[in-house]
Amino acid sequence: MRFFYLFFSLILPFTNQDSGIFISKGAKITIFSSAPIEDIKAVSAQCISVYNSQTNELEFSVPIRSFQFDKALMQEHFNDDYMESEKYPKALFKGKIVEKINTKADNLYKVMVSGELTIHGVKNECKVPGTLNIKDGAINMMADFDVKCADYNIKIPQIAFYHIAESIKVKISANYQSINNKSK
Amino acid sequence: MKKYITIFFILLFTQHVLAQKTDTLKKNTSIDSLMNAMGAGNHSEPVLGTFKASRLILSQTTETVKKNNLNFLIIHRFGDFSGTYGGGQSLGGLDAVADVYFDFEYGLNDHLNINFGRSTIGGLLDLGLKYTFIHQTTDDAIPLSMSAGGEIGIRPYGSFNSFDGRLSTLFKIIAARKFSPGFSLLISSTFLRNNSPLPTINGNNEQQFLSIAVATRFKITKHMGFIIDYAHPFTNAKQTSTFTLYDPLGFGIEIETGGHVFTLNITNSRGINDINYLSNTTSDYGKGQYRIGFTISRMFDFNRSKTNY
Repeated sequence: MRFFYLFFSLILPFTNQDSGIFISKGAKITIFSSAPIEDIKAVSAQCISVYNSQTNELEFSVPIRSFQFDKALMQEHFNDDYMESEKYPKALFKGKIVEKINTKADNLYKVMVSGELTIHGVKNECKVPGTLNIKDGAINMMADFDVKCADYNIKIPQIAFYHIAESIKVKISANYQSINNKSK
Repeated sequence: MKKYITIFFILLFTQHVLAQKTDTLKKNTSIDSLMNAMGAGNHSEPVLGTFKASRLILSQTTETVKKNNLNFLIIHRFGDFSGTYGGGQSLGGLDAVADVYFDFEYGLNDHLNINFGRSTIGGLLDLGLKYTFIHQTTDDAIPLSMSAGGEIGIRPYGSFNSFDGRLSTLFKIIAARKFSPGFSLLISSTFLRNNSPLPTINGNNEQQFLSIAVATRFKITKHMGFIIDYAHPFTNAKQTSTFTLYDPLGFGIEIETGGHVFTLNITNSRGINDINYLSNTTSDYGKGQYRIGFTISRMFDFNRSKTNY
C-alpha cells in the first residue's frame, strides 16, 4: 500500500503539469534551385524540431546527408563538393517566434521567426515568415524562404556542368506533438 | 492510524519536493538537450567520394556506379611521346593510337556493378563484376572501403588453337581509405590468369601471377585532383631475356565537371584493361615510351523521380 502511494506521488507531478514543449520528428524540408539544364531539387524528411511555447524558442536540425535527390551523382556532388557534409553534417536553426502564441486554442497564426541559421558551418542572422496552425493540441508550421549560397560560403565553380542558381528556395513543413500528448 | 497520517504527510512532502525538482529540471531541460535526445547528435554515415570515378588511370577504385545508373567511358592512350616513334614527327605520339577502351558500367544496385568493355589491344572483350562490401564510415568505426571484383576477358578468334586459349580471368580485391577530403589512398591486389601467356613471345609460359597496385589522389582544388597510379606484377616473364617488362606507372589530373569526370594522364602502359597492362607493359619511361592519355566518362541516370516535392 505504501508503495502504491509512493508510486502515485512520483507519477503525479509529471502527468499534471504542462511543459509547453512540442516536438517534431520527420519534418519535411525541400530545397529547389532552377538551373538551365535541369532543375535541382531534393527533399529530406529527417528534420527534427523542438518548440517551447512558454519561451517561444524554436529549433531545427537536419542532417545534410538525408537530402534525397533524383540523381545519385547530383546527391554526391551536393554532399561532397558543395555542402561538405563530412565536415558540416548538419544545418541548424535556433531562434524565437516573435509573436505571442496561445497553443491552447485552435488558431492560424502568421508568424515571424528570427534567429540564427547555420549552414555549411557559417552562422547568419535571419528572419523567416511562416504560418503556424494549431489544431487539437497539435501544431503545424510552414515556411518558405531563400538561402543565398554566397552568404554561407558555398562556392559554385564556373566549370560545373549544371550551373546552380545563386539562391536556393527552401520549404519547411513540420508537424508538432506536445510532449505530454505523446506520453499518454 | 498514526502510521497512516505520517505516511500521508511524508507523501505530501515528497510530492512538494518532487514538484520543485521537476520545476528546476524543466528549466534546465533546454531545447538543446531535448534536440540531442531526439537524435540531433552526430551519427555515422558512409564516407562519400573516396574517389571521383570507378577508374583512375590504371586501377579500378572502390567507387561504384549507383543503382540504375550507366557510366559510359572512353579511355584513350596515344603513341609514344618521344623515343623512336614519338617526338615531332608524330606530334608527341598524338598521331598514333596505342589503345582505345570503351566501357559500360551499370549499377545493379548501389554496391554491385556489372561492366562490359572492349580494348583495341588484342581486340579484348571483357565482362566484369565489382562489389563493394565494406564502406568506410565518417566516425571511423569502419576505417576503409573494400571491393572485390572478377573479370573474364575473351579475344577474338584468329591465332588461337582453342576457345580456352582466348580466355583470361582476373580476380581482384581493392582497399581504399579517404584520409581527408583532399587525400585518398588505394591498395589493390589482382590475380590474373591468361590461358595463352602474354606477351605472346617464345619462351614465355607464365600463365598466372599475382600483382599489387597502389594509387592515390591529392585534391588541388575542390574539383581537380592529382592522381598517381602504380602496379607491380609478380610475373616470372620478367626474367625472360628476349623482352623486358616494366611496371606500369601513371600520373594524371582528374577534373570533375558535374556529369563528367575528365582525366588527363601520362603513363608508360599502352594497355588500358588490367589484363593487358598487367601482363604486357613493355614500354619504358627511360626510352621515352610514355604517352598521353585521357578518360572521358558520362553518367546516365535511369532512375525515375523517387521523391515527391
